[in-house]
Amino acid sequence: MASGETSENAPSMTSIQRHFLLRRLHSLTGIVPIGVFLIAHLTTNSSLAWGRFALRGKGDGLSVSEGGVKYFQHEVSWINEQVPHLLLIEIVLWVSIAFHSILGVIYATSGRGNVKQYAYQDNWRYSLQRLTGYVGILFIVYHVATLRWGWTFLVPEGTRWSHNFSASTLAAAMQGSTQGYTAMGVAVSVLYMLGVTALVYHFANGLWTAAITWGLTISTKAQRRWGVACAAIGAGLMLAAWSALIATMTLNYDKAHAVERQMYIEMHGETAYLEYMQKKGLQPSGDGG
Amino acid sequence: MIATQESTKASTVRIRVKRCDGPGKASYWQAFDVPREPGANIISCLQWIAAHPVTVEGLKTTPVVWDSGCLEEVCGACTMVINGKVRQSCSALIENIAPNAGDVVSLEPMSKFPVIRDLWVDRTRMFEALKRVKAWVPIDGTYNLGAGPKESPEQQATRYTLSTCMSCGCCLEACPQYLLEEDPKKWPTSFIGAAAMNQARLFNEHETGKQLKKDRLDVLMGPGGQSDCGNSQNCVKVCPKEIPLDESWAAIGRSVTIHAITSWLRR
Repeated sequence: MASGETSENAPSMTSIQRHFLLRRLHSLTGIVPIGVFLIAHLTTNSSLAWGRFALRGKGDGLSVSEGGVKYFQHEVSWINEQVPHLLLIEIVLWVSIAFHSILGVIYATSGRGNVKQYAYQDNWRYSLQRLTGYVGILFIVYHVATLRWGWTFLVPEGTRWSHNFSASTLAAAMQGSTQGYTAMGVAVSVLYMLGVTALVYHFANGLWTAAITWGLTISTKAQRRWGVACAAIGAGLMLAAWSALIATMTLNYDKAHAVERQMYIEMHGETAYLEYMQKKGLQPSGDGG
Repeated sequence: MIATQESTKASTVRIRVKRCDGPGKASYWQAFDVPREPGANIISCLQWIAAHPVTVEGLKTTPVVWDSGCLEEVCGACTMVINGKVRQSCSALIENIAPNAGDVVSLEPMSKFPVIRDLWVDRTRMFEALKRVKAWVPIDGTYNLGAGPKESPEQQATRYTLSTCMSCGCCLEACPQYLLEEDPKKWPTSFIGAAAMNQARLFNEHETGKQLKKDRLDVLMGPGGQSDCGNSQNCVKVCPKEIPLDESWAAIGRSVTIHAITSWLRR
């Protein structure tokens, strides 16, 4: 009885192929380009913490935090002014993130977590993968809307991020003001800590499960071995993410601005600096700093 | 008086049963105190309740209905949710799951299949899934096909473990991606679950069973197939036969990847 009904309702070859393609593209986009971008992004960000030690003599007289600002600002200028096809890269990333997010939400809502009954570590991993996906989407939207699209109404005191004054404006956006922490700044900083941690977990775990989905690791032993590798990748990225966060959250706006100001004036001159500050609605600072 | 009550309590075990009078009816809980017997299991307790259908409140009720077969954990029929986790009731011994006086055992029907009555569920969808992936060796015909190709000892060793599946449904009950679906029309596109997927691997790796590999992989490529697995790996943890279902998912994943790419390039 039931068998006759079920074979009638079997999916067509077209819908089988479409299903497969969507599922595997969902898996692939999480690694390339999103995961690859995440690695590059967090590595650049972490230079705020270690940049002072990579300046090769150009950092004489600068503190660890000032050196980090100098190195980071150099990287950000390079990305914004030198990287070719930046718009194309952004579009590809946006399409991928939107695709991965929309399908991810559809897939995640097709399951019902049951960690209460079956409190296995792997089952927690499963539920966390879905939770971090949701947190990650919200964080990415906030992060990009405020710092890239300039939705300053979502930033405490309306700080506008500027790629020429990248570290100082970032610190002001996260701390809540150019004079240090405000209550809203604490909230934004906590959001960043949660969001970045969620995304690193999501990527590391996704890297691990992708190897099962595609059939690269088959035996339980191989899965465990790749699991150790993914945990190491995750730990490394988490270190990069947290060092960047701590460096930004402890950054002094004025000192960072002074380093960036000097770099800007070296490139464009004093007048251009004053004009730029006026255009961006930022408070210019004098010599010293 | 108090001493007598306590000794009664120590010599009985309380069994709470989630009951349901029929498909679509609301479920309710009833509790029974069952005398402890050496070597008692859930089935023997249910048999005692069937003979003495009186709840702890003294209410006379209908006997509890359940499904069972072999009583030695090889048929899978008596699978139910015991103290919140799915397992076979025949191998659930009272002395292990409720060793102390005052311990309570809760029994629920599996939640991923439609309830027929009380602890008895309709597992048709799981058996339909076996048909969906053609979990058999194609040897039917009008003449003798002769001896089949040889199987290597390594293949036999791998396949033997996979073949111990008794289609009990534990892997499906514990799976966060496998949900109750009562409409048979939706079964061909709903998640297939570990049991049938593992059988597809079992027959794909059989020298004669291989002939249907393409058909099986087409199904596992599509809606409800291999890629709908969410990798919680609960299936492998609850499998009473300790079948490496995590490895089967990955092996089928590899087969599907290769199948999809080669058939795309061949078209």
